[in-house]
Amino acid sequence: MVARDSSGQRRRRFLQATGASLLAGLAGCTGGGGGDGEDTTTTTTESGEDTTTSTTTTEDSGGMEYTIGMINSETGSLSAFGERNQRGKDMAIAEVNEYGVKGGTLNIQVEDSESKSQPGVSAAQKLVNQAGVPFIIGAVGSGVSLSIYESVIQGTDVVQLSQNSTGLGLTEFPGLLRISPSGRSQSVALTDIIADDGYDSVAVTWVNNNYGQSLADAFLNNWDGDVAFQNPHNQEQNSYSNLVSQMADSGADAWVFIAYQQGFTTMVNDIFSGGYEPALYGADSVRGDVVLENTPEGSMEGMKIVTPSAPVNQDNYKEFASAFKEEYDKEPTSWAAFAYDAVITAALSIQAADEFTGAALGEVVRDVTRPEGQQVTSYAEAAEILADGGGPSDVDYQGVSGPIDLDDNGDPKGFLQVLEVQDHAYEGIDFISG
Amino acid sequence: MAALDFLATPLLDYLANGLVLSSIIVLGGIGLSLVYSIAGFANFAHGDTMTVGAYTAFVAFGAIGAVGSGVLGLPIGFFVALVIGVAVAALVAVITEYVIYKPLDTDRIGLLITSIGVAFVYRAIIRMEFGADFRRYDIQAMRPIEALLPYEVRITPHDIAIVGTAVLLVGGLHVLLQYTDLGRKMRAMADNPDLARVSGIRTERITLWTWIIGAGLAGAGGVFLGLYNQLSPRMGFSLLLLIFAAVILGGIGSVYGAMLGGLLIGMTNQFMPALPNLGQLFPLVPESFGIPIGIQYANAVAFIIMVLVLLVRPTGIAGEVS
Repeated sequence: MVARDSSGQRRRRFLQATGASLLAGLAGCTGGGGGDGEDTTTTTTESGEDTTTSTTTTEDSGGMEYTIGMINSETGSLSAFGERNQRGKDMAIAEVNEYGVKGGTLNIQVEDSESKSQPGVSAAQKLVNQAGVPFIIGAVGSGVSLSIYESVIQGTDVVQLSQNSTGLGLTEFPGLLRISPSGRSQSVALTDIIADDGYDSVAVTWVNNNYGQSLADAFLNNWDGDVAFQNPHNQEQNSYSNLVSQMADSGADAWVFIAYQQGFTTMVNDIFSGGYEPALYGADSVRGDVVLENTPEGSMEGMKIVTPSAPVNQDNYKEFASAFKEEYDKEPTSWAAFAYDAVITAALSIQAADEFTGAALGEVVRDVTRPEGQQVTSYAEAAEILADGGGPSDVDYQGVSGPIDLDDNGDPKGFLQVLEVQDHAYEGIDFISG
Repeated sequence: MAALDFLATPLLDYLANGLVLSSIIVLGGIGLSLVYSIAGFANFAHGDTMTVGAYTAFVAFGAIGAVGSGVLGLPIGFFVALVIGVAVAALVAVITEYVIYKPLDTDRIGLLITSIGVAFVYRAIIRMEFGADFRRYDIQAMRPIEALLPYEVRITPHDIAIVGTAVLLVGGLHVLLQYTDLGRKMRAMADNPDLARVSGIRTERITLWTWIIGAGLAGAGGVFLGLYNQLSPRMGFSLLLLIFAAVILGGIGSVYGAMLGGLLIGMTNQFMPALPNLGQLFPLVPESFGIPIGIQYANAVAFIIMVLVLLVRPTGIAGEVS
């Protein structure tokens, strides 16, 4: 970490010291490529904060090309998410460029994080220092997003908007924005659901790592009732019957699991073979077809699970889903919806900002997603208002992944679906916003 | 009545569940100890040999199907699949011995590191064929036996089948070692390979039988581990650490030590919930006495017990001074 930080710092200082000419050249690359009649002027000062890049295009040109960066998990452990992001991003670009952004087009330079911190930071350095983009969408994993923020973004004007990170710790970095809701909203929603179901005593277990611990902390902080049992568990154990019998001995009405699929499957089998029938609740990570396939029919009947979800009943989501299905012949995931909204949010910021710089984009990026302003559900509608002279706070973009409403910590308003296990399948029973 | 009150504590349940886990650890541990005593190195591929047995049984059971109602909630087809799993695990180990371990002219450490590589290869092949996801045998899961519920004991007929088969196999091995010609030769070779060879024992053949028996028992352990929990490419490897603890605790090289060690380690794992409230569970212990430690530290406790035993008996419970 230290080595990475210092190298990032060094690179930034080097850039600042090299001064106007180099940055001007870089920014020229970013803004350029739109046609012959273009006249690009760039000014910059020594302190990175005051960097301004202004670009003008002549009337008869083919329009500006606005290049922003994206850091995605194209390879590595999270490459499945990367693929979903790629689809959502491609659909969003098509939609943005159909209408146009500030009379020009949007271009996204995608770099691979390999789902790891070090390559992710290198990708960000390439985008910021070489390509000179003022806005980066990235990354997928929370750890990677945070490394990028701390090593490259922090202290500059560049806007970072993570498409998929849900780690609770990211809330403490207001400059690191994200489109996917914090896992904290899941924990809070679980406490509300359990209380609404009339239970006042819980037994909680969580996977013994940062993810499990942070969700469990959020759950326990927000739970007003009695906690009869609370203990972490290790992953991939061959038996959890000792855990299950402890939960049973605690006498709790409701059992809460913040676990991973494999461990949770073992637990459900141990609950079944122990003959217990508690009320089960779980975080999103315990859900999966592989869990259903490997647990006995009826063993999880009535279990309630909270999962981040797109508002699948809303018209804009339905349109998105049908367009997605036409293009890729499958149902979109909420991750594709997050990536889609991240690109739309970036495009709206460009449209709303006075100039194509990190400082100007950072000023408007929150406002275009949150209230005050007309609620709009598509890019074209929102861009129309902005093009007609509307300011960023005249627009409240409602995404296909939820209301977004980026707050001062850079977190969106979470949109969650409550699932219930019925006849050994997950059925959506409710939506929770905020 | 006092006796019955004592029975109605969770202790009996811990004991019953401990027996089931112990059975699997013992099946794995015996093979590890046998191979150590005769082939002369700690075989890190042993856990993955268990995985090989489990996945073979999975495929075999899928091909054979249930076949009849069977016993203890397990169809006849499963027992056939168990035999096939044991046979393939033994075969894979023998092939590995002839292709890799035997031609290698290296010392114990070299063989140990090689066996880690072999473990990776086994696991990689299984992952290529079956993916990283976990799965279960297509056998209806069972509820606990009703008749035992009043005693707070919650075990299924499957658990009884696991313990029963393990006892049969271990008993069979005991008979083999004590009363047959092969058993005597194996014990002779474990004691002193050179002396065994000059006495006219064909040590190569004994080594071969050792691999067959050791890996076969591991295969059986793997099949039952899959029944007890689920199958995943890492299933055997993740149990291997506990098996090593059991074998070293019992005295590496000693088959009977591996049985004792396996029992102790399995029990430790399942008795973890009792530690925080020892006083309420046991008579003669002050009511408020307990060791405040969560079940997530089960492996650490198992290894602490191992170290404590080794401090008192450096060669393990049943180990002999060499």
